[in-house]
Amino acid sequence: MSERITRVQIPMEEMGITPGSACQGCGAALAARLAFKALGPNVIRHGIPCCPDTVTATPQVGGVFEGGGALLTGTSRGLKAIGREDVLAVGFFGDGGTYDIGFQGLSAAAERNEDILVITKDNEAYMNTGNQRSSSTPKYAITSTNPVGPNSRGKGQPKKNIPFIFAAHYVPYVATTSVAFPEDLIAKVNYAKGIKGFRIIIIQSPCPVGWRFEPEKTIEIARAGVQSGIWPLYEIMDGKDFKLNYKPKELKPITEYLKPQARFRHMTEAEIAEVQEDTTSKWQNVLKADEMGRVVI
Amino acid sequence: MSYEVMVGNKAAATACKLARVQVASAFPITPQTTITQYLSEMHANAEWDFDFVNVEGELTSQVVVQGASRVGARTFTCTSGPGLLYMHHPMQTTGSGRLPVIMAVVHRSYKGMQPDHSDLMSQEWTGWSHWYVEHAQEILDTLLMAYKVAEDPRIRIPIAVGYDGYVLSYTAEPVEIPDQDLVDEWLPPPKAIPEILPDKVDPSTFGRGWGGGDPQMAWKIHHDVILKIEEVHKEVMDSFEKTFGRRYGNAMIETYKMEDAEVAIMAMGTIAGTCKAAVDRMQANGKKVGLIKLRSYIPFPNKDLLEWGKKLDGIAVVDRSICPGKGGPSFQKLRDTLFDLKDKERPKMLQFHAGLGGKEVRVRDFEMIGDKILKVAKGGKVENLVTWV
Repeated sequence: MSERITRVQIPMEEMGITPGSACQGCGAALAARLAFKALGPNVIRHGIPCCPDTVTATPQVGGVFEGGGALLTGTSRGLKAIGREDVLAVGFFGDGGTYDIGFQGLSAAAERNEDILVITKDNEAYMNTGNQRSSSTPKYAITSTNPVGPNSRGKGQPKKNIPFIFAAHYVPYVATTSVAFPEDLIAKVNYAKGIKGFRIIIIQSPCPVGWRFEPEKTIEIARAGVQSGIWPLYEIMDGKDFKLNYKPKELKPITEYLKPQARFRHMTEAEIAEVQEDTTSKWQNVLKADEMGRVVI
Repeated sequence: MSYEVMVGNKAAATACKLARVQVASAFPITPQTTITQYLSEMHANAEWDFDFVNVEGELTSQVVVQGASRVGARTFTCTSGPGLLYMHHPMQTTGSGRLPVIMAVVHRSYKGMQPDHSDLMSQEWTGWSHWYVEHAQEILDTLLMAYKVAEDPRIRIPIAVGYDGYVLSYTAEPVEIPDQDLVDEWLPPPKAIPEILPDKVDPSTFGRGWGGGDPQMAWKIHHDVILKIEEVHKEVMDSFEKTFGRRYGNAMIETYKMEDAEVAIMAMGTIAGTCKAAVDRMQANGKKVGLIKLRSYIPFPNKDLLEWGKKLDGIAVVDRSICPGKGGPSFQKLRDTLFDLKDKERPKMLQFHAGLGGKEVRVRDFEMIGDKILKVAKGGKVENLVTWV
């Protein structure tokens, strides 16, 4: 599992060249900046259609939306064939390319335990095309395909538990992290780049435009997500060993996460209570897993 | 050199071994299935140093070879009918990426399980070169030539080599296997163009992507380079003959008994073999009918067919496919080509659809086709431009 680092251990060297065409306060741009700092120069970056984030000083290969896992597989096998296993094939994908259209290929790559690293900047909807729902969108969130009206209270279903789905492929490493916890993020990328096999890191990356908050609040909201327990930071090794990396004595109320985001503004007290109850009960599960040091899959 | 009686799919797998393919990836689909089994066996037995990725679908197999080809590995994939349709999206990426991927397409109709050319014909917009072959020896030889053409720095275009399912994939015939040393010398290891390894990449490419320049230019370059394949393909056929002692016409077309022919039948794939038997019988009866076997559909052999068009009085085109509502692809393309001839030079043309959905095409069917085109060429009235055999 990852080793804790302090802020001074974050590499000074930037791999980002320019912020691309990201919006102000873009969580994904920050996720890319931090992740590629930790990855360093010896990688081939793979992109599939997703929001622009940070342009990095890395060779880049683009592919079809649904083909992220396959493209990484091909590069990794090709590198092995030409005797360059020192180069790491890294995918930097969105939640659409991971949870939805790209899921089949990624699941298959995980099952084959391909020697690849997938990093997902999870902004909980198809933000590149204008905030349409994904299976990563949380319950009750308004998206441009989940407007509120007599027939709709926002998205009707909970967010897909993708880290546990990948853990159930018994792969070497699955981790969640957040742009508000740069030490945790970098420690996890450091660990992942040092091991072999299929590795996936999901970074919760708030989107001011889609989640509807002021761009300067990105870190506050990401932090509230972790501190309220709705986005716990953990890692799962080989589909069994479990470690919860951030354990507050007491969870913050879920309202601290929900209230600043206008995508949840329509929620009634009862709906907020439902999300609170759901979050608390899932938090109990991760606490239990952490206590045992393992998950039961 | 050695001989082995083998089925068409074994010939394809043997070509992979001779070419020292480094990464192969495939998903089983009838009638391509046994290629995946031969490759798995060859991998398990460590017959040569290669990686075989058994994937969860054709889309993935196409993307896997794309990734491996991009870093400079020699790659192979194969599929049939519906599997090819499922690959459609990433096939255009392979084409646009100018990646020298070689794919065997074991023809299967998409109306049913039996062979016709509808699968590969439906992929003509993906930016690949499309070749069609007739027998198992030609599968093996053509796949080797495909690597040589695709990896040529003047070309860098993926090539699909199509052969009919069942009648070739699962039917055994004697095949001559060239010596490995000779193949190694003739087909040197591939190179990545451009290099994308972190220590070799051109840093000015970082962040390049959207906008800038003439957006049509990528299409024009792609089109022009595919047209250039004709020249390189003919060169490669000459050097193949010099090294291995076999050739297939001039690469683009292969003619059969065309010396004194007044009319020709143009056909592709295994039914061209059936047509040869019909040509023998017709010529024995004094009918001056020959065969033009179309080997390269994309690029189309415009120059060769213009020359033949001038000499001939009639050409019957047999398409083992149809674009519903539009017609037979090679007939339409040939008519388009021959438009450039003067009116009195232009031969009469008839269109035949045969063998679709795996319908059997017999020698006497080709004799009927020969009789019809002879009649029209001698001034007879065209009763039906299109005939379903």
